[in-house]
Amino acid sequence: MAAAILAASPAHTRRAWRAWVLPLGALGAAEALLRWRPVQSDAVALPSAVVQALLQALADGSLWSATWQTLAAMLGGLLAGGALGLLVGVWFGLSRRVAARGALLVELLRPLPAVALIPVAMLVFGFGYRLEIFVVGFSVFFPMLMLSHAAVQAVPARLLEVGRMLRLTMAARVRKIVLPAALPRLFVALRLCIGIALVVAVTTEIASNPQGLGYALLSAQQSLAPELMLAVLAWVGLLGWGLNAGLLALQRRWFGGLAATGAGR
Amino acid sequence: MSAGGLLRVVAPAEAAAPLIAFDELGLDFSGRRILNRLSFSIGRGEIVSVVGPSGCGKTTLLRLVTGLVSPTRGAVRREGVAVDGPAPDVAIVFQDYANALLPWRTVAGNVSLALEAARVPAAQRGPRIAELLAKVGLAAHAEKFPRQLSGGMQQRVQIARCLAQRPAVLLMDEPFGALDAMTRQDLQDEMLRLVRETGTTVLFITHDLDEAIYLSDTVVALRANPGDASSLARTFTVRLPWPRNQLATREDPEFLRLRRQAYDYLLEAH
Repeated sequence: MAAAILAASPAHTRRAWRAWVLPLGALGAAEALLRWRPVQSDAVALPSAVVQALLQALADGSLWSATWQTLAAMLGGLLAGGALGLLVGVWFGLSRRVAARGALLVELLRPLPAVALIPVAMLVFGFGYRLEIFVVGFSVFFPMLMLSHAAVQAVPARLLEVGRMLRLTMAARVRKIVLPAALPRLFVALRLCIGIALVVAVTTEIASNPQGLGYALLSAQQSLAPELMLAVLAWVGLLGWGLNAGLLALQRRWFGGLAATGAGR
Repeated sequence: MSAGGLLRVVAPAEAAAPLIAFDELGLDFSGRRILNRLSFSIGRGEIVSVVGPSGCGKTTLLRLVTGLVSPTRGAVRREGVAVDGPAPDVAIVFQDYANALLPWRTVAGNVSLALEAARVPAAQRGPRIAELLAKVGLAAHAEKFPRQLSGGMQQRVQIARCLAQRPAVLLMDEPFGALDAMTRQDLQDEMLRLVRETGTTVLFITHDLDEAIYLSDTVVALRANPGDASSLARTFTVRLPWPRNQLATREDPEFLRLRRQAYDYLLEAH
């Protein structure tokens, strides 16, 4: 993700082609090397064969449907876990007492790796979207909670004082002062959570859930088609890069300099 | 307080009972005594400045009047009733205007916040905002955002937002401290004009003695680390004619005499 941030920053866009020299050069070198000394392998394929497999999978629609499955599970998990994490995080940020009471429970549950819940969740939900949404939701809940807690805490005390002096109600203070002031940081939190959601969704699919890009990766591996496996892998990478770049562009457009300070903290 | 001198041209209507009374006020903060046995009162329409070395509790005193902070001993009374929280007609102008304005709202939007808080219907807000911005000379900047304005203009936005509360009491915490000299003088005169027009009572915190004397009916000097003594070190009654004038008032022998007296006193206190 850090590479995408660097590559998309304005100073670099003017000489964007230079950034492509290294990756394209490496691919070219791999192609040349493999043609010169062909290897029989289940893990390696010619870059040109990988590109061909990718185009083929896109053309026959199989890669698209896997992509939508993964995206739908990600989005469901983000909506469920992220929204809940946001609510609890804002609540913690507003009330020191609530944050103190909830701190231990959060510290006890947070270290649990979300993917470790797959066996349990499978018994409860069976295979399918609900399993994946639960695991993704759990994985983004805690980062969202902690980041939105911090975002609310970072709202200048002076602004909150202005709200109290004007005798705004608690709801009006949250709506008119706290949320707009925390918004740039909340958006950064969303960006991070989307990254996590993609990783966890694909992991869940590889580990157990027979759908989406993770499962496509796994079945290509098991049918000994390294060029398709690598094509799906490259596609997952492109998807992650594209999601982040898109959100970063939105962040620049909506928050400008404000978001930079939000991300810098 | 006998603030009403014979020389006064525009004398505020003075009520028999004080509007705000500090009654043996004391505040300790984490074991340190900030304010102690502070007693004085402010009449309706009076402008009182508080000066004193840093750490003498000037800002704390202001926060006690807002009700955002509660005293350890004694009380702040408004018309006889102890203050226990923010009131709709008590407004405060903070020194750090950049932090006190909502950066995502325009100038008009920032003023609107006070009207929204006072539940003024949306249809009436527009004309009120226009009137308030005209008063502080920002009519042409209603749609700009705070970061597009100079420091002095941002402070005017904050003043307009406070005026939107129709304050009976205006609290000012070194409001002009961060501004350049010319802007500061302009804002001093505008502030005087606006509060005299409406008969607003002002409690003004500053570390600038000249500013304190120029603006006030009464200047109160506080003592740092009061210990068992009273925080109130001295009270200077300013008998300078109104309206004040940046040149004439500052050349007035009485101004110079007060300035000398106050400086001598503060040097002694250090």
